[in-house]
Amino acid sequence: MSMLSDLVERVRSIIFRGRDERELAEELRFHTDMDAELLQGSGLSAGEARRQSALMLGGVERVKEDVRDARGTRLFHDAGRDFGFAVRTLLRNPGFASVAILTLAVGIGGTTAVFSAVDAVLLQPLPYQQPGQLVRVYYSEARRREERGFVTPVHFLDYRERMASFGAIAALGTYSETGADIGTGDDVRRIRILGVSADYFDVVRVQPRVGRALQRDEETGAATVIISHGLWKDRFGGDASAVGKTLTMNDRPYTVAGVMPDGYVDPLVGAVDGWVPMDLSPGRDLTNVDNHYLTVIARLRQGVTIARAQDELDRLSVRLGEQYPDARDARAQLDPLKEDIVGSSTRSLQLMLGAVLLVLVLICVNLANLLLVRGSDRAREFALRSALGAERRRLVRQTLIESLTLAIAGDLAGIVVARFAMAAIVAIGAGSIPRLSSLTLEPRLLLFSLVVASLSAVGFGLAPALRAAKTQPGDVLREQSRSSTSGGVQMRLRQWLVVSQVALAFVLLVGAGLLIASLQRIRETPLGVKPDGVLTFELHLPDARYDSTARARFYEDVAERMATLRGVTAAGGITKLPGTGDYNIWGTRAMTGPLAGTDRSSMAAQQRVISGKYFAVVGIPLLDGRLFDEHDDASVPSRVIVSRSVADRLFPGVRAVGQSVGTGGRTKEIIGVVADVALDPQGHMGPHVYHAHRQFATDRNWALSQVVRTTGSLETLQADARRAIAELDPQLVMYKPMPLDEAIGQGESQRVFTLRLLTTFAGVALALAALGLFGVLSYSVRLRSREFGIRMALGADRGSIRRMVLREGLVVTALGTGIGLLGAVALSRLMASLVFGIDPLDPSVMAGAAVFMGVVATVAAYLPAYRATSVEPSSVLQ
Amino acid sequence: MAGEPGELLQGTLEMMVLKTLSLEPMHGWGIAQRIQRMSRDVFLVSQGSLYPALIRMKRRGWLTTSWRVTANGRRARYYELTAAGRRQLGVEQASWQRASAAVDWVMNARLAFDGGERA
Repeated sequence: MSMLSDLVERVRSIIFRGRDERELAEELRFHTDMDAELLQGSGLSAGEARRQSALMLGGVERVKEDVRDARGTRLFHDAGRDFGFAVRTLLRNPGFASVAILTLAVGIGGTTAVFSAVDAVLLQPLPYQQPGQLVRVYYSEARRREERGFVTPVHFLDYRERMASFGAIAALGTYSETGADIGTGDDVRRIRILGVSADYFDVVRVQPRVGRALQRDEETGAATVIISHGLWKDRFGGDASAVGKTLTMNDRPYTVAGVMPDGYVDPLVGAVDGWVPMDLSPGRDLTNVDNHYLTVIARLRQGVTIARAQDELDRLSVRLGEQYPDARDARAQLDPLKEDIVGSSTRSLQLMLGAVLLVLVLICVNLANLLLVRGSDRAREFALRSALGAERRRLVRQTLIESLTLAIAGDLAGIVVARFAMAAIVAIGAGSIPRLSSLTLEPRLLLFSLVVASLSAVGFGLAPALRAAKTQPGDVLREQSRSSTSGGVQMRLRQWLVVSQVALAFVLLVGAGLLIASLQRIRETPLGVKPDGVLTFELHLPDARYDSTARARFYEDVAERMATLRGVTAAGGITKLPGTGDYNIWGTRAMTGPLAGTDRSSMAAQQRVISGKYFAVVGIPLLDGRLFDEHDDASVPSRVIVSRSVADRLFPGVRAVGQSVGTGGRTKEIIGVVADVALDPQGHMGPHVYHAHRQFATDRNWALSQVVRTTGSLETLQADARRAIAELDPQLVMYKPMPLDEAIGQGESQRVFTLRLLTTFAGVALALAALGLFGVLSYSVRLRSREFGIRMALGADRGSIRRMVLREGLVVTALGTGIGLLGAVALSRLMASLVFGIDPLDPSVMAGAAVFMGVVATVAAYLPAYRATSVEPSSVLQ
Repeated sequence: MAGEPGELLQGTLEMMVLKTLSLEPMHGWGIAQRIQRMSRDVFLVSQGSLYPALIRMKRRGWLTTSWRVTANGRRARYYELTAAGRRQLGVEQASWQRASAAVDWVMNARLAFDGGERA
């Protein structure tokens, strides 16, 4: 009650400050008048009575000040005054203010933006109910549990039937983007569809908002589709009667069974326009325990830990191994789905976070230096004011408010910077970092930036003010008028700050150098292909119009037609472009040769189906035997071409050409050996088995990515190719045309994203470090101009003074670099995981960083020393 | 007059203001005069301590204020005790009496205790 009235009274006093002041003046006037009246009554003259009564009051301003204190609002009034004063003081020194605000803006802006990215990608849970229960199921091998592969339908169905730990389990056909053409003629449009097993909707726990989910009896590739909210609005005007209607995809009529809720996205592939039932009906693929192509996700039963589920899965895997001798070593591995999705981004984001924190610390050190330097600059001012009677407490508070003013200004500028930085991050990372597109500036993060700004302001604003308050004004004034060198303690503190600044900057510099070097190495990594001058695009042939024979002929026709275009030297197609990741990893067994029949006869190899002159287009050399030609069609025995690592492993010591391998459930003769190619842009080579599309078209509707090599421009080729395709089949869509190097680079984009961010950060940090180093060194030299004057007056020559200053600057820098080196060594293990093809302690990078620091330090120390010693000693001493 | 008018004992000012106002609502000058007179000129209340004390007491909810016209026609701010203020007066009066009695006992104590302490 009393606390409440207290608060009400205080707040009231703040609001009605003007009225309170007027009333107080009137009250005091009344009091004095009454005193005077009383005195006059006791015989004093009117003038003397007034004089005496005024004396009794003892200074009206003093009383008013005491009353204001009692109101408990004095802090606010003074703060207002101090704030105004702070703004004026800062404006008087715009250089200092703008550097400080800029430092804060860059620091806060950068930190907020990056924290938002980290928050959106790393910290926020998956947007599904109880996301902790979601796991990804991977194929692995008994001896190589760290392996992560696709699951076979055989194993998937066994898991679904026998795993008690799973509440639901679903298979997704994510490993290749499946598109479908809807509409006809000019209205044709390609949408994104995803094949799923029926329990998919139970795993994600999102049911169609209209209609029904898929059923297990539809897992035969039934012509049923669940459509997205967007497609529903677009094609059916958002009408509930859409359920049961027909949607023609790839010339095949599908029945719309349901509509997903607005905003639903698949956890793995993102936005999808249609979900169709997978074909899990018994067939050759389904009984092949070596055919890995399913992406499997599951939801753990309530209360079941991932460890317990893994345990059950391990026991089941052993039993399945006995049941399927061809897949005796097949195991499965569970990963939390969230980790699986962001896993690849996690490390880069963590590293980014580390870089941000380093930058933040650097900014704090910079600010500390700035404020400290300014504090010592103003020591004389404070001493004078203190000698003239200003309260120490008041001086401290004023300095604090000045720092807070800086912080607020820096914070506002920081928010602006953050907005731009966020837009930049989204633009750079769009497409390569999952869920980045949903990035927004969060209120929590703004708060974070405010706290950072205020803390650094309070911390570093207070230190010089406290010191100023502690010193005797007389000492300061005496020292300042006589001083030769600046105060010892303060100087040492500042030197340590320079040391720490150099150390931090060095670590960041090394990080940036390593990343830039690795980016260069990646660019230079031999992938085993020559992507320059190659155009790629996808063609998807509707089943309804193309049977396997037609498909086999059509893809060859496309290649031949492309080869006739102006400038084109060769054309072909492949199921998965090189350097863009895994695809169709099948067990491959030596059926002949020295290993046939032994337990070393089998290996997992990448299977690719090719058409046209694929090898010639992408520049993979033939090492032995021959390539496919027009005679390798469905009428002759199946043949394959293997890459060198397959030949070496399955047929050691003998010629692979002429031998036979078992793959995809058939025995095929090796007719040629080609060089290996990379599976990813980092240059990890993979064993490949190539099948001729002419022979293999019956297996399934392979969507071949076309590759066309030209000596001319890719734009001209793209236009020509589009026309040529239209002549062959006007209904076909030329999907995702792009240069091959760009298609390969897409896998690299996440790394590029990280690298760009890190190098930007490193650049900012570098600028900040150079600025801070320069500022502090040059200021401390400037402070000593008086000392130099005396030395010169006493006969020291300019050169020796300049050398002395330089030496001192370099000692500090060398110390900082040494500490930074230790820091870089300590962080090298973390760095090793991100750099590529370079030792995290690469001497050239280390030396480069050290040289850079040395150059900045030399300039920072020498320039002011040069200036200080260039003037006549007498002019400094006066 | 028994010597110079002294400064108020710290902490007792508020109690005496409460006491004064318990008799009737009063303006600041009147409160100062009345305390001076009732203490037979021992306590001289300065404006520098009176007005801050009044503000503090108002903040605690012991007083309310209003502007009224005095007997000789001038506008003055009058202070009036609230129920809380009246309770507070009781509390302070009781604790003051206990304390002053205790001080009396101490000051009037005899040396008889000395022997006991040495034993």
